Amino acid sequence: MRLIIRDDPTAVGDYIANYICKRINDFAPTPEKPFVLGLPTGSSPIPTYGALIRLVKEGKLSFKHVVTFNMDEYVGLPRDHSESYHTFMFREFFSHIDIPPSQVNILNGNAEDLIAECNAYEKKIKDCGGIELFLGGIGEDGHIAFNEPGTLLTSTIGSSLASRTRIKTLAYDTILANARFFNNDISAVPRMALTVGVATVLDSREVVVVVTGLRKALALSKAIEEGVNHLVSWTLSALQLHPWALIVVDEDATSELHVKTVKYFKSIEFVQDEVEKTQRELKARGKITEEQVYISKIKEESVKRITDSNLGLGNCRNSQNPE
Amino acid sequence: MTSPNGLVCFTNCLLPQEDGSLIEKDLWIDERRGVILDAQKTFYLRRNRPERIVDLGGNILSPGFIDLQLNGGYGFDFSVYEDDDEAYKKGLQMVADRIIETGVTSLLPTIITQERSFYPKILGLLRPFQTEKSAAFLGWHAEGPFIEHSKRGAHAPSYLLDAPNGTKSFEEVYGADNLVHQEDWLMGSEHSAAVRLITTAPEITGVMDAMKELNRRGIVLSIGHSTATTEVATNAVRHGAKLITHLFNAMPQLHHRDPSIIGLLGASPHISPLPESVDQSRTASPVFNSTPGPVEEPSHVTPPQSPTSAKLPSGASTPSSTTNHKGSRKSLHLEKGQVADMEFERPFYGLIVDGIHCHPNSVRLAYSAHSEGCILITDAMKILDPHLKDGVYEWREGQRYVKEGLRLYLEGTDTLAGSVVTLDKCVRNFSRFTGCSLGEAIKCATYNPARCLGVENKKGTLRPGADADFVVLSRQGTVLSTWVKGKQAYVANRSATT
Repeated sequence: MRLIIRDDPTAVGDYIANYICKRINDFAPTPEKPFVLGLPTGSSPIPTYGALIRLVKEGKLSFKHVVTFNMDEYVGLPRDHSESYHTFMFREFFSHIDIPPSQVNILNGNAEDLIAECNAYEKKIKDCGGIELFLGGIGEDGHIAFNEPGTLLTSTIGSSLASRTRIKTLAYDTILANARFFNNDISAVPRMALTVGVATVLDSREVVVVVTGLRKALALSKAIEEGVNHLVSWTLSALQLHPWALIVVDEDATSELHVKTVKYFKSIEFVQDEVEKTQRELKARGKITEEQVYISKIKEESVKRITDSNLGLGNCRNSQNPE
Repeated sequence: MTSPNGLVCFTNCLLPQEDGSLIEKDLWIDERRGVILDAQKTFYLRRNRPERIVDLGGNILSPGFIDLQLNGGYGFDFSVYEDDDEAYKKGLQMVADRIIETGVTSLLPTIITQERSFYPKILGLLRPFQTEKSAAFLGWHAEGPFIEHSKRGAHAPSYLLDAPNGTKSFEEVYGADNLVHQEDWLMGSEHSAAVRLITTAPEITGVMDAMKELNRRGIVLSIGHSTATTEVATNAVRHGAKLITHLFNAMPQLHHRDPSIIGLLGASPHISPLPESVDQSRTASPVFNSTPGPVEEPSHVTPPQSPTSAKLPSGASTPSSTTNHKGSRKSLHLEKGQVADMEFERPFYGLIVDGIHCHPNSVRLAYSAHSEGCILITDAMKILDPHLKDGVYEWREGQRYVKEGLRLYLEGTDTLAGSVVTLDKCVRNFSRFTGCSLGEAIKCATYNPARCLGVENKKGTLRPGADADFVVLSRQGTVLSTWVKGKQAYVANRSATT
């Protein structure tokens, strides 16, 4: 897992937008081979969406051959309700870019048969060849999409690592946090949602997570400085199991990290860039194939993970607390 | 240029909202059907998005203006009919074609007091119509003949009438066919926006009796050319009057002890506690005769700090638009910013904002008193034509008028004979006179008149399903282009007319 630190949410948004732009353009999507992108809602990704829209308007990026899958949607909330995720995505993103509506997929929280809706969604993702890049945000407890902390690995209540797209009852915290969008009327906040599962996210070839603000700082430290432990609390930590994950954060979000951790990730950022550049040049000269580039990425990633462990940054809880 | 799939997206523009604000947002329309789309529904349900994007360069995309009172223009007078239906219809079409340069896309042709036999014929010709590139005629506005002699203005005194038989008198003059219920009047026509408006003086014999019935038939009643006392004016509103015709003009001046028609803008909840106590409004202190001591009504108790009421945005909307019921005025209420309900809504009022018919101070005074009721009208005469020079012009029946800039007099008098101002100019004036934002001024020429006529789902708003009639304004309120039914029908600064 890589961690990129930027000054503020705007810079984080710019970084991720440029990153996604490069991924899509390198992929060179076509109608037959579209780029499949997973998308989140919430306040964290808004600067990213803004920056992506700018890139589209400047002609540097097109979503003509991009297929999107959104993470989640409330159950029972009308599609055109001001707080539905359909409304959010249209207002913040889809209305401003050139994506054909037929390539946009969002779970239908008003489907008569919600389970069938979830299963069809998983199948559709599979039929599209899986998700190339999943962009995500996290909640204060580290949840991704509505995959709130669960209690058992195979629980249908919580969010097991093997979880797939399904109906989910929202945690009380999330309901409270969302109440501000419903006139502070807790009873008006939907209690259920459809959401992709942790496994759905982990299945994608690449995961990029945006984490900004002081309120997310604790979740970030738990997710990257401790072991994989979504069972108690931090779903984000499941990313440690993903071969190609990127977390982009602002300075505020690093507040709970060890100084050592921050310094480490800052120091390796340019190394990553160097390696990618070299790989690109090799590819351009025809020395290696696209497949090899991908594999070399994974290799390099696993090397780094081992290094992380040696530094005591992963999988060793409570070991290096300076206090 | 058309869109391959018939959908157009206006972008990089400011959209006037119904609360008077301007927000940066895209607007989607269907140019083939000529209607505004619900963009989100189009995207998710129809799985479609516009293939033509119109970049408006940061300018304002306003609903087309609505003029409730236009007497004619470009040399054609709606009130002159010379036994030739075709010539008359041609005249209407010509005005409809040319008026769009002033940003007006909907209007009510206004007929001033006529010799009575003319009415049935003329009004019959004024059914709603709209052609491809013209403003829409929404119906008619009959100003007179049931108006007050002493406040007749330029209306011919010999044609003024009483209505001794109430509704029947109205039917005899305007023609029973023209006063049938709204739906019947529209039978056989596909036009949805159909309006009839009558300016009348409620103190004229029989008028008050007719008001409720006319109102029931979907006809908008407006108080004007009248000397109604406060009591009569208030009663007229209770009987269904929804509008005041050219406020301040052809009515008693504001007197603080009997504020008359103008006073309706400040109608106090205090004087209208119950419908049956109308007579008490004449006494010096009419309300303290009600039950002494507050009588609590448990069903109406609202906790002042309950979350929903605390979240309600206050300030922007005026008290008259509130739907919260505060119960009887026997008790005082505790919610700041709220005004106790009255049994009636204060009426809308038309303002001629040419700087002549009303002093800027008067305009601001009226707007401050009742902003939600403010409607800009031109009351323009047939010589309305932004390209016309000053001079003496023929009116009708041997009368002539003198045009001096925006002033228009009957020749040889100092009687104002309507105006020659355009509605886009009124909008700019209004923003200057009152100090309000351009968006709030636009509201007074779009949403407010639409609401007064009850056509806000079709005209005067940017609601999904409304007609795609627009005026594109610069950020200083000048007309850049006008769109009718989704198609651009006029562009400024190209050769003037065709």
